[in-house]
Order: sequence, then C-alpha cells, then structure tokens
Amino acid sequence: MNEEFENRLRRALRPVDAPAGFAERVMHALPAQQAASNVVPLAIVRKPSAPMSAWRRFSTPAALAASLLVAVFTGQHVAALKAEREQQAGLAASRELMQALRLTSQKLDLAYEAVQRPAPAPTVDEENRS
Amino acid sequence: MKLDSAQAESPQLLERARRGDQAAFAALIRLHQSSVFSIGLRMLNRRDAAEDLAQDVFLQLYRKLDDIESLEHLGFWLRRVAANLAIDWLRRAAYTRGAPLEEGAEIPAPQTDQDPLMDRELVRLLGELAPAARAVMVLRYQEDRDVAEIAAALDMPVNTVKSHIKRSLTALRGKMIGAELITAEELS
Repeated sequence: MNEEFENRLRRALRPVDAPAGFAERVMHALPAQQAASNVVPLAIVRKPSAPMSAWRRFSTPAALAASLLVAVFTGQHVAALKAEREQQAGLAASRELMQALRLTSQKLDLAYEAVQRPAPAPTVDEENRS
Repeated sequence: MKLDSAQAESPQLLERARRGDQAAFAALIRLHQSSVFSIGLRMLNRRDAAEDLAQDVFLQLYRKLDDIESLEHLGFWLRRVAANLAIDWLRRAAYTRGAPLEEGAEIPAPQTDQDPLMDRELVRLLGELAPAARAVMVLRYQEDRDVAEIAAALDMPVNTVKSHIKRSLTALRGKMIGAELITAEELS
C-alpha cells in the first residue's frame, strides 16, 4: 500500500524546469556581487601614514624603562644611605660605649690605687688635737 | 554549451568556476537549476518565490565555491541550502503556509501517465505540511535522497526524518481518501 502511494508521490513531485533565462538572470546578478566583493575596504585604500621614526616608536617604552630604572636605582641608593646611616650610628654608639668603659676602668683603677695605698702617718697637729 | 556535454565536463567545470570562469559557473547553474528551483517551488508553492530562492542559493554558491570539494558535495550543498533557506523563509512568514498561487502562476503538473488532477492535489496537500516535514518529503520523493542524507542536509536525527516521512505519508493518504481522489482499496 505504502509503496504504491510513494510511487504516486514520486511521480507527482518530479522536478520541473526552471523558468527560461534563469541562469542568465543569475549571471546578471553576479557582477553586482562581484562589485561588492571587489570593494576594497577603506582601511586598505586609506593612504598609509608616514612610518613612525625609531625615536617615536620606541620613546614610550624607553621612557617607561628609564622610569623603572630610576625608581630601582633611587630605591637602592636610599636603602644604601639608610644602611650607612645605621652603620655610622652603630659605630658611634660603640665608640661611646668604649669611652664609657674606658672612663669606668680609669675610675676603678684610681679607686683601687686609693684603697691599696697605705694610710699616711698622722701629723703632730693631728696628734695634739686628739 | 549543451547540458549533456556540460555534465560530462562538470569536474572541470567546478574547477574552472572556482578559478573565476563565468561560463563554467553558468554551466553549473544550468546543470542544477531544475533541482534547486523545484525544491523552492514545492516548498514555497509560488513560482516567483521559488525563482528568488533559487537565485539566492546560486549567489551563495558563487561566494562559497572554494568550499565545494566535489560534484557530489555540490549537489548535497545545493539541496541543503535550498531546503533550509525555504524552511527559513516559511518560518519568517514571508511565504505563508498554504498561500494561494498567484494568478497565472500555477505550478505546472508534471507530464505523467496518471491523473493530473491527483498530482496537483498531492502537491497542494504537500504544501499544507509543516515546513520541516515538507522539506523531508521533497528531498525524499522529489530528489530521491535516502534518509541519512536528508538527516544530514536538514540537521535532524535519522529517526526524526523517518518519523516525518511516516506521519506525512499517513496524513497525505488520509486526505486523498477523504477527498475521494483515491480509495483505500485502490492502495491496498
């Protein structure tokens, strides 16, 4: 049953001819298509700007690199100054400590000498007074 | 150029058309115009719309010639683009389902040895199917394509194609019997 009906459908749906002159009309429509596809994008037609000089081309990155270097060197210099200042302060503190120790030592020596020195014999006046 | 000789030379035609040979491209159109126009006609039910669609398909082909790998691929590509473009047009309601034929623009009934009234009625009933089902039936019974190729052309699962065919055949047969153009006994 299906096969008979399918064959009937096949016969009814046989391809028909395209209208006369169809291919010519399509071909006639092609030049417009081609013309559209041949339009060169404005970006390509536009006169190219003069090439940038090497200086202009690299000025921005160079400035950035220079800024970075200055920042690094400045940082290092500040750090070095700070370290030197701290070292100087340390040396000064050390010197002061040595000085203090030296003075203390001298005073201790004097005290020791004073303690070790025999007491002087009393004078006549002193004897009379007592 | 005669069509037969063009057909024999078509591998070269494709290559020449790719290189920009306009005569070769025109020969390729003549080889495939009937198939593409007929798909448009069965899908849209209007000759003017079918011609617009066919022209659109060949203009797209002109831009995509470099993508066409072989003659088999060319045929598949044309059927695929024509059917999908027709579905798209129908869905955009530019050509409504069941739109009346323009005055004097009736679809010519193919010359067959059977009742032309029945042929015309079958074609009319086909135009009442939903766009996707109609495309499936056109590719199956007009273009004589197998289910796998139809599925590939319309981006559908094979089972969906089979289901469209089965349901559409049942619907068409039912309507033909209802219109008393055929009898159930005639088909049994």
